[in-house]
Amino acid sequence: MRDSSPSPLLSTLASLLAAVCLLAAAPAGAMPQAAPTEAPFHERVDLRPLDRVAVFTEGRLKSFASFANTQMQFVSGPRLIAGQGPDFTYLDLMLVPSAYADADILFVKNKGVRARIAQAALEADPSLGERMKAFERTGLVSERVLGLPTVRPELQAMEGDLIRTAKEMDAIKGALQVKEPQFLLGSLRLLPPGDGSADRPWSSIADIMLLGVDPATLPGSLKDRTVEPLPGIDAARQAALAADWRAFVQAWQQRDADAVNAKVRAIADALPALVPAAYPSADRLSWEGWYFRSGNLSRAWMVFLAATVLLLLALVYRWPWAMKAGMVTFGIAAGIQTFAVLLRWYISGRWPNSNMFEAVTTAAWMGTALALVAELWFLRRTAMRGVVALGAAVTSMVALMAAYLLPVQLNPNISNMMPVLHDVWLYIHTNVIIFSYALIFMAAVSAAAYLAWRATGGGLAYARVGGAGAVAEFAAGAGGTPGAGQAPRASAGEVLDGVTMLLTEVSFVMLWAGIVMGAIWADHSWGRPWGWDPKEVFALNTFVIFALLIHVRWKVRDKGLWTAVLAVAGAAVMLFNWIVINFVISGLHSYA
Amino acid sequence: MRIDRAVLDLLSSVRFGIVLLALLFVYMSVGSAGIVYPVHPNVFHPDAWVHAQVRQWRPFEMTEFEWFHWWPFDVLTGLLVANLAVTTVRRIPLRAVNLGVWMIHSGIVLLVVGSVIYFGTKVEGEAPVVRRSVTVGVAAEGAGPGVLGDTASMLAMPGSKLAVGTGADRYDVEVQSIDPSWELRSGDEVGTRAYSVNLLVSGGGRRFMRQVIAGYPQYTEDLVFTDDPKQPMKRAVKETGRPIIDERLFVALDYAPQDSFYLKNDLVKSWALYVRRPGDARWVQRPIDGLPLYNDSVPEPDEVFLSGREDGVGRWIRVPIPAVDPADPAPGIALEATGYIRYAQPRARWVAGGTDDGPNAVATVEVADGDGRSGRYVLVARDPQKRAADGGVLALRQVSDEEQVAAFLRQPTLVFRVPGRGIDQAEAVKDAALADAKAPWRSIGGADSGYAYRVSSVQDDLAMGAREASVAIVELRTPAGEFTRWVFSDPSMSRDLKSGEDPMAAMRRGGESFVDGTVEVEYLPGNGLALALLVAGPEPGRLRLVDSLGRSEARIVDVAPRAPVQMASGIRLTVTEWLPNAVQEAKPLVVPPEQRQRDARELFSMARVGVPDGPQRWLQYHPYVFDRPQDVLRRYWLQPETIDLPDGTRLEVLFSRQRRSLPEVVALDAFELATHVGGFSGQSSSIRNYTSVVRFRAADGTWGDPLRLSVNEPVEHDGLSFFQSQWDPPDEGRGGKGASAGLNYTVLGIGNRNGVWVQLAGCVVACTGMAYAFYVKPAIKRRNRRAVLAEIARAKAEGRQPSFPKHLSESVHA
Repeated sequence: MRDSSPSPLLSTLASLLAAVCLLAAAPAGAMPQAAPTEAPFHERVDLRPLDRVAVFTEGRLKSFASFANTQMQFVSGPRLIAGQGPDFTYLDLMLVPSAYADADILFVKNKGVRARIAQAALEADPSLGERMKAFERTGLVSERVLGLPTVRPELQAMEGDLIRTAKEMDAIKGALQVKEPQFLLGSLRLLPPGDGSADRPWSSIADIMLLGVDPATLPGSLKDRTVEPLPGIDAARQAALAADWRAFVQAWQQRDADAVNAKVRAIADALPALVPAAYPSADRLSWEGWYFRSGNLSRAWMVFLAATVLLLLALVYRWPWAMKAGMVTFGIAAGIQTFAVLLRWYISGRWPNSNMFEAVTTAAWMGTALALVAELWFLRRTAMRGVVALGAAVTSMVALMAAYLLPVQLNPNISNMMPVLHDVWLYIHTNVIIFSYALIFMAAVSAAAYLAWRATGGGLAYARVGGAGAVAEFAAGAGGTPGAGQAPRASAGEVLDGVTMLLTEVSFVMLWAGIVMGAIWADHSWGRPWGWDPKEVFALNTFVIFALLIHVRWKVRDKGLWTAVLAVAGAAVMLFNWIVINFVISGLHSYA
Repeated sequence: MRIDRAVLDLLSSVRFGIVLLALLFVYMSVGSAGIVYPVHPNVFHPDAWVHAQVRQWRPFEMTEFEWFHWWPFDVLTGLLVANLAVTTVRRIPLRAVNLGVWMIHSGIVLLVVGSVIYFGTKVEGEAPVVRRSVTVGVAAEGAGPGVLGDTASMLAMPGSKLAVGTGADRYDVEVQSIDPSWELRSGDEVGTRAYSVNLLVSGGGRRFMRQVIAGYPQYTEDLVFTDDPKQPMKRAVKETGRPIIDERLFVALDYAPQDSFYLKNDLVKSWALYVRRPGDARWVQRPIDGLPLYNDSVPEPDEVFLSGREDGVGRWIRVPIPAVDPADPAPGIALEATGYIRYAQPRARWVAGGTDDGPNAVATVEVADGDGRSGRYVLVARDPQKRAADGGVLALRQVSDEEQVAAFLRQPTLVFRVPGRGIDQAEAVKDAALADAKAPWRSIGGADSGYAYRVSSVQDDLAMGAREASVAIVELRTPAGEFTRWVFSDPSMSRDLKSGEDPMAAMRRGGESFVDGTVEVEYLPGNGLALALLVAGPEPGRLRLVDSLGRSEARIVDVAPRAPVQMASGIRLTVTEWLPNAVQEAKPLVVPPEQRQRDARELFSMARVGVPDGPQRWLQYHPYVFDRPQDVLRRYWLQPETIDLPDGTRLEVLFSRQRRSLPEVVALDAFELATHVGGFSGQSSSIRNYTSVVRFRAADGTWGDPLRLSVNEPVEHDGLSFFQSQWDPPDEGRGGKGASAGLNYTVLGIGNRNGVWVQLAGCVVACTGMAYAFYVKPAIKRRNRRAVLAEIARAKAEGRQPSFPKHLSESVHA
């Protein structure tokens, strides 16, 4: 007796979609199968021309690939469905939904929730054993499984648990809504307002796709519907576009890749020409599409891994070739990383530092850039050569690996910033803080290397003149162990301790400055410079650890060991602030 | 060793400073992030660890702000400052090489001093400011033009209502809709956007809309209802030639000034009880110092509904709430808080009991279909609002005899009679397409009779004053024209509505009831719209189901609790709980922790308040205190309770947080949104910035110039900073009556910031010192070292002992 009918808008869109499918004269789901020797349909279809097509979504104009990436993440999370790109899956879900009726395409992130669903599903249908095992592994499940009589009450129970599982249930409901063909069609807002106004929303392709169709051929509910061209846009162009769209739908449902490719090109050419003044730059859109197809260039972590291995060899065995190869590899990785940061800046129209993905990747790039400058400028002729680069290589490798492997937590999608972030202090405070975080991690790498050196027999050694002073000392060829006098060659322990202090000093000043800048911003944004928010407290705690490091180093005999231990502890507190505080303990900085 | 010497040595010990820093680290970590501890021997199991916020534990009960201003923190910070100061003065000579550390230490001391000033005087709160209030007045009888008699005001919020005047001069005015961005279509300001309020007016024998536009009183105009479904409203000027059809009604939009702000309770606990005598206009506050924030204290378990384990049950608190304001209406009477619940909701449940005036059946019904979908409903036979569910498809009725049961077996029927034509026709209402404007007309007495009808809606068991009646609203087409007839089950109440006539006014009016008296219509409600009608009685405890689902003839079956009844289409109906005679019991429901909204903070708190040793009431928390129902903001509420005092009088009480007066009254002139590409979509992601345009009122009553404050751009005024804090978003996914387009109010963050510049100076000095210590000091030391080596070389060459100036002594030692 409960009213479960969809909203009128969605009903209309569903009817429109059905009408287009009807016109396409190929019932959805009746797909001709490719010949055994032929490549799968998704491999024969070339959707790259759609990179030039802009889609209006959530106050932004995205390239189709970027848009589809965002939308499909709501459905299948970070997983690809059957090896298909998100743009292909988007269109296929919309145009051939029957093919996904019992397909495992809905992503469930929480492993505990997966286990509960799997257990409930097996109660209803024990034959699902293998699928449920796969589900627990990949997180992908089908709508049919979620609708099983034993699963539904379980989902309801989890919906009531607001602390542990309600968010996951919201995500599942969101996925079910997004995957609906009518939702996908309604979201395809491809048509700019005719007057080119930036204050008016774009229209969906659904609004015009029946232009030029005889109403008598439409299903009952649409017979009375009058389809008018959008105002301000040439009607003939709209009609031609609508015809291309219908032909595209038909070709897609018939799995005719050549026809699909031809229509994709036609649509991609037609759309920007409708209202050229309102359309974003084709270059920008194409680069955005390429950027997302290329996995945000986060695979560069492999190049950083190679650099790390080579630089470690150079550090341990002092092989000149390893140092040379390591530095060259590091330079290549830095180049790719710089390109990725600049490209994201160009695509999003703002410096990339306003969400977790951007903060992590940009911080790592800052460390790399500093290492490159330092190595080339003043460390080249010192015993410290290669160590700062090693720290940066490990930092960037970890950061990019996290971006590559944890796309749910580090969501790479580009979205609008919250109003509070539209401030010059975002660029000042955030960049200074994340730069200091990168340096803290780099210092922890050299500190960890020092601890490894001590663990493998290294003696009580430290850089007598620590930090910035050590650079000059090492440049002059001086060692550091008390009583050693003018050592011709510093030990690995002295070098590593010197690098740890060099990076710690810079990060110490930057962290303090960053905290102060954050307080200035908070004062005029939130009304108080300091609110004892967990993020603020743990930034201060990180600073306290480094204050302890400096004073402990002054008082203890084994300076190198204590410095290394506290540098690693400082990095742990910094990571706790960035990971646990952000994801577990809520606060004012929930977007940071 | 003398004690003062020992203290000085301790305070100048670097090791002591290190210990203090380590203790501060631990204190801050525990206070901010809390602790985790194992609750199971298998520590590798994910559920073996529990996270707890120590500061929220019952013995502490502290917010973050309070934890970081508790005496242990103050002592640690004070000792650290003393340690820094003494160590610096005693152990670090003030020389160029040590300038960095001097700056760092003195900068931190300065920062702490600034923080003492800042946090010691910190006041922070928020103030909701509404965009406009609506003032309504009725012209005084017999007075000259513009002289008003009765006047009243209300906030401009969708759904706000008021009444002015009495008797025939009574006007009921309701805010029907608000367009925060109405485009002016005439005059010099054409194209300008302004705040427009549409009021539905019933009075003076008419029903019409009046549009009032903020800042443009000259464009006030009325709209009248028409019979044209394509254009249901028409500008009065087009209909009557005059923009205002009722000159006696005066309406204006005024500022809705705010004179106080509410302290942030999650910063520092700032509970307050507000009291007033029934009938008084203003509330008087009594601060409640000592009421908890996080932990429940429920003295009497019977007073609440519990849905799980609750460790606060049986715990008492006694927090006195004395009067502190000279204007307090009961200055000699101390109240006290004796209980507190962090997260509860007022809930009423039906329990077996009964009333003196006949049985009140209550049934909890579960309806399920074959696909596993189900719904649960609580039906109350004697409550017209709750006796039916799902649009009347499911219902519960109480009967006193079998005749009534028999009547329920009939389908609802309309009987049309035109005696002059010999027409007598009965039509089942269930077969009619209800509320469909395009539904075809159905002929009465044949296609050529000239009589036809269609049914707009049916409403059963309407409360009509002291009695109840069912009504079918029928459109009739007769030789006299088309009109609407309200056909009641009690024929004496039936009448036709004139074009644009208010139904309530039609019910009140006397005179001729029918436009066309040649046609008579009778409504026999039968089982109404209910496809599943539960019938209680007439014997005590008896329950039956009148089942019309998928049947041409209704059947009747006995129903036992928890025994499912199979209906058509795979529908299964089960009465899961059956109370033949029930009373309602209202108590706070303690919401289980896993069902609590994490960001709700204290929004769902309740306090138990009363006179010592007297009756106690559980009071719902109010984020803001409103004087009248007409002043209540959207999304908020006004639910005061009353307490009987020992002297026999009564007090109205309300649980909220403390408020402070603003130095100058503030008003909201406008509220603007800056958006991303595509404009405002209703989603916050499309918003780039929020701007409140405010004005302050000086002591002489004049309004100052408009000031724009937006996110990241606060306004300083009279020693306080005003920030953009919250806004009034539109109702998402909801249209129609009562839906709001939002932007009717803003919430300003308000706070002082004494000592901020001292804090900043300390930070800058410390930062400069760090750069100096790390990058200038090494250069100075290298230079000194070179000078020492050069002097040694020179002295060796000259065969003398090297001599060094004092500032090089450290380098010589090195």
